[in-house]
Amino acid sequence: MALAPVNTEIGMVQLTHDPYPIYRKMRTQTPVVRVEQIKRTFVTKAAMTRMIKDTPEVFSSNDPNTPMEPAFQAHTLMRKDGLEHRRERMAMQLSFSPKVIKQNWAQLYRDITQDYISRLPRGETVDLYKDICGPVSARILVHILGLDGATDDQMLRWSQHLIDGAGNFGWDPELFKISDRANDEMNAHFDGLIAHHIATPNSSAFSVMLNAQNPIPQSQIYANLKIAIGGGINEPRDAMATILYGLLTNPDQLDEVRRQDAWGQAFEEGVRWVAPIQASSRLVLEDTEIGGYDVPKGETVMTIQASANRDEDLYENSEEFMVFRDQNPHQAFGSGPHLCAGSHIARRTVGEIMIPALFDRFPDMSLADPSKVNWRGFGFRGPINLPVTLR
Amino acid sequence: MVKITYIAADGTDTTVETQVGNNVMHTALSNNVAGIVGECGGAMMCATCHCYVDEAWADKVGAQIDGEEDMLECAAADIRPTSRLSCQIKITPELDGLVVHLPESQE
Ligand code: HEM
Ligand code: FES
Repeated sequence: MALAPVNTEIGMVQLTHDPYPIYRKMRTQTPVVRVEQIKRTFVTKAAMTRMIKDTPEVFSSNDPNTPMEPAFQAHTLMRKDGLEHRRERMAMQLSFSPKVIKQNWAQLYRDITQDYISRLPRGETVDLYKDICGPVSARILVHILGLDGATDDQMLRWSQHLIDGAGNFGWDPELFKISDRANDEMNAHFDGLIAHHIATPNSSAFSVMLNAQNPIPQSQIYANLKIAIGGGINEPRDAMATILYGLLTNPDQLDEVRRQDAWGQAFEEGVRWVAPIQASSRLVLEDTEIGGYDVPKGETVMTIQASANRDEDLYENSEEFMVFRDQNPHQAFGSGPHLCAGSHIARRTVGEIMIPALFDRFPDMSLADPSKVNWRGFGFRGPINLPVTLR
Repeated sequence: MVKITYIAADGTDTTVETQVGNNVMHTALSNNVAGIVGECGGAMMCATCHCYVDEAWADKVGAQIDGEEDMLECAAADIRPTSRLSCQIKITPELDGLVVHLPESQE
């Protein structure tokens, strides 16, 4: 067999601007390709990306060469494999489970959403991305994680600084200084809450981890909280903005979603269409083969779930936003051991509560000018503004 | 080939054939049996493949494996003594005719 072909043209700038035409071409011509400028092998077909994520013995998450460790000041569960990963993940999973969400959180999510939506000015054009998508996600997360007292601004800032640090592949020391400061603030905030969570056990992730019979080390409790902050705000925010854009630019589909109360399906289609986390990396532990090409030990592969979600083998009109599909086996939440730990929360909050509540309050809202919505991102992607006229 | 019957929460049953070595979750997915999601692909990390093993088969299928109980606690539906994650039930010749019941919801 042969090594995968090499692409020397594609770089961060094109990918950040609009990766989808690039991926479409890769799927048909070079589904496994070494992208020289990114120093990674891109894999763009759904069957292959799923196989990689489902085979952690060969494709490890434990890649020591990423900026994640300095950014989080920890070796986090996202970068661990096997039993160590399972132990840290299971320490908090119950807080994110359907039963706990239903019993303890669902009403609170509704109240928070109503609170923020009721402050929006009817008749005006507002940036929902900035005013709703981010802050509501942040507020809900404060409760789920048990970070009592943290403000929306703090949560949004911490999350962004962690993500910027984790994406600092240029190893710019200034960016790590910023993430270090965020870590200091988070650590101080967490320190101040331990006594409270031990004295009054509750179903927040922090409390559940602290009060476990056999708790994980405090360093890993903190690391877990930071991963949830880093992953629990921007992704629901981007998903929500994407779904709103999809529905507002496809009024026929919106009508049908309303008629059938198909908000859940709209959620799934939104995250399929533009996956909030577009790509994940895995380290190749032994010489192996993907799609007929040799991939040597030590290589880093990028599973491009953004592309897998538009794979023509699985979807008709795969580039289109189409809520009513027969099947939607997307990989927006990943697959395998690192499957998103917060998928139930995202589905409940964004799909079942936030989006229907907005359309309920502003049934005739409209995108002021769809061409003014800007999209950005390679690793993470979504609109970065969403000017909507509220009616 | 080994036969497996899935009985949905509303009582409808579906019988499919599969091979020894497969598992009960994958068999459902590849035959489009509704009621099993299997979102993590069998990594025992999602509990969306929860099933109740029919009483008559409980002994043959065997007990939950290490770690399964914790994951089952995160399932959407009620847990019973016969609850299993179907991705962790490997098909053996002894399981020919196996009956599993599906919960009302996986998510
Ligand atoms: C629509 C919203 C969301 C999307 C699309 C999403 C997507 C993802 C993806 C693709 C991964 C896997 C990364 C990999 O394979 O390396 C992941 C992991 C993770 N997500 Fe989410 N996520 C969302 C919301 C959330 C929320 C609300 C939370 C917090 C409660 C959360 C917490 C996590 C955690 C803790 C992990 C790490 C899991 C592990 O490594 O075992 N996510 N997410
Ligand atoms: S498929 Fe995820 S636990 Fe069985």
